[in-house]
Formats: sequence, C-alpha cells, structure tokens
Amino acid sequence: MSLNLDTEDDFYLEENRFKQCCAEFIKHSQQIGDGWEWKSIKDFPDGYMSKTHFQMKNGNTPSIFKDSTKENDEQTFTHVEEALDDSQASEICATSEVIRYEYHVLYSSSYQVPVLYFRACFLDGRPLTLDEIWEGVHECYRARLLEGPWDTITQQEHPLLGQPFFVLHPCRTNEFMAPVLANSQRENRNINYVTSWLSIVGPVVGLNLPLSYAKLVSEQNTKTD
Amino acid sequence: MAEVEEQLPLSPQDGGRGECGEEPSDGGAAVGVAEAVPPSAGSPVTEEPAEDTKKKIDVLLKAVGDTPIMKTKKWSVERTRTIQGLVDFIKKFLKLVASEQLFIYVNQSFAPSPDQEVGTLYECFGSDGKLVLHYCKSQAWG
Repeated sequence: MSLNLDTEDDFYLEENRFKQCCAEFIKHSQQIGDGWEWKSIKDFPDGYMSKTHFQMKNGNTPSIFKDSTKENDEQTFTHVEEALDDSQASEICATSEVIRYEYHVLYSSSYQVPVLYFRACFLDGRPLTLDEIWEGVHECYRARLLEGPWDTITQQEHPLLGQPFFVLHPCRTNEFMAPVLANSQRENRNINYVTSWLSIVGPVVGLNLPLSYAKLVSEQNTKTD
Repeated sequence: MAEVEEQLPLSPQDGGRGECGEEPSDGGAAVGVAEAVPPSAGSPVTEEPAEDTKKKIDVLLKAVGDTPIMKTKKWSVERTRTIQGLVDFIKKFLKLVASEQLFIYVNQSFAPSPDQEVGTLYECFGSDGKLVLHYCKSQAWG
C-alpha cells in the first residue's frame, strides 16, 4: 500500500488506495448482506460507497425494510412508500417514527482522507434537523460534540449529488488515524484504511459496523504472512 | 504469571447486539457468528466469583501512540461490559478530560461500536485465554 510519508506523522490516503479499500470493504459487505454499494456518477471518474438503512427512532429496525438495499438513491424512498399497502400498515403503526438514514463515503482530495456524508429523513419526507441528528449521536460522543458541534457535524452540499447532506468534517481525520496506521506499520500488518476509519466515525452518527469486518483484516494478514 | 488481576469497580451495563457478525440477509453468510451472550439485568456489583452469565474474561490493554500506558494492563472484566463502559473506565483511570476521546481497537485496527460487549469480542478475537485491546486517546475524531 502506498502512503504519503512526507512527515512521519502523516498517513494520508491516496485516491486509488481509497478505491481499493472500498472495493474490499464492499466485497465483504456483500458476503454478509450489510448493504453497502459502490455508486459511480455517469461521465465522472469519481464514485462513492453508499448505504441506506431504516431505523425506528428508538433504535430498532422495522422488519419490512431490511431488504431495501438495492434501489438507487432517488428511487428507494418512493419504492418504500409503495410497499406500505394495507396489509403492512398495521405493522407500521408508528411510521412517523421510522427514519431513513443514508450514508455516503466519499474521497476528499483536498484532505486526502475519506469523508462521511449522511442524511436522514422520516418516511413522510421530512428531513431530520441538526438537533434531531444530534439526539441520535451516541452518548459517549456527546461531550465532545456539545463543546463544539460546528467543528464536527456541518451541513454541506454533496460534492457529487449537489444535495444538502450532513458531514463529519474531515480536517482531523489524519490525527486520529495516524496512531492506528503507525502501529500497523510497526507491526507489519495490512489494514484497510476505510474499514478502520469507518469503524471509528460511524458510531458517532448511528452507523455501526458488524465485527466481521475486523476479522476480514486479520484473514488478509494471515494470508500474506 | 505474576501479573496483577483486578476487578473493574463499575457495575455492568446492559449490552447491545452480541454477535460477531450481523444477521445475514437471505443471500449472505455471516463470518464467525457466535452465540449471543444475554446481558445481565441490572445486577449489583459483586466481589465474589461470578456465576456463568457474569463470568469474567481476561483483557490485556495496550496503549497506542502517545497515549499513557496503564500501570495495570491486565484486567478481569465481566462479559457483559460494553466498550463504552471500558472507555469510561480507562478515561477515569488515566484522568482524561471529557472532551478527550478514547478509542478501543480489536485486531489493532478496528473500533467496535460502543454497545459491543466485551464477552462477544473475546469469542471472536480472544486467543491464549485473553482478549487484547489497544486503546488510543485523541483530541479529535471528525
């Protein structure tokens, strides 16, 4: 893996490596049915990883939505509405409480790190406000967020879709990734930057990676040893 | 093996999902799925040897980067302790301020979610009778 090592503390991720990491990540996601996909934009070399999932406000996943991972961005929402026929309406007695989360992993060329974009809305189309998003932030991160919310979650235009998304600001990604990468270099282990990074930032906004992603890394290390 | 084994003084928290892999959808096959450990329901802290459901596992904590090294590295932890609980404990032990983040990693590279139970991690990543966890402090995560 090629890392830019101009200074010993800098472990930037170059774009091709980003795409490789995403490919490995998605391959594993497909194996376990975790719902991540690669989306590319017509006529652009850029692409991103995307996952949509549905969650009740109290954190549970409504059962009828578990398979809705194949449609593209704009159609997923409509498709879900069509699925709510009378027979299923009784199961969704609290549809106002179902939230659709959408997560995108993009590459930031200016920071040379991955960036997590996300948005959330209720089934009636109402997007969650920043306050409501913060309510969903895991309590162990709240102290940090309360001190400087504008440093970490901001609202920006999605660079490829042009729609408003919330973003976990990437300016400090290198800071928390560096020790992990330095450690792995010392130990001569290959790690998937995107997997490690997402395992750290994901829970902040309600995105938890199944443990098997961690096992994937160790399997790769075994093979190369 | 003259290492000191101490018990974490905090009471166990109810854990979250307790599996190595997510429930597979129709087409997928989960890697390394283990039995879910039922969380103990608000039981009081005890110094006595634990019952089966509160059996403790050995955890070895290793510092990464500039993070202070704990004097006591080996701990006996209840299976139902969550990552978040462990983070809180280590932060107190190292006297970190609330705004400093502490990350815990398995396999030196993967941060389990805060609700993940230590017992499950031990099932998936434990070896030689213990679970090795790396911890790292950071001012920033976003």
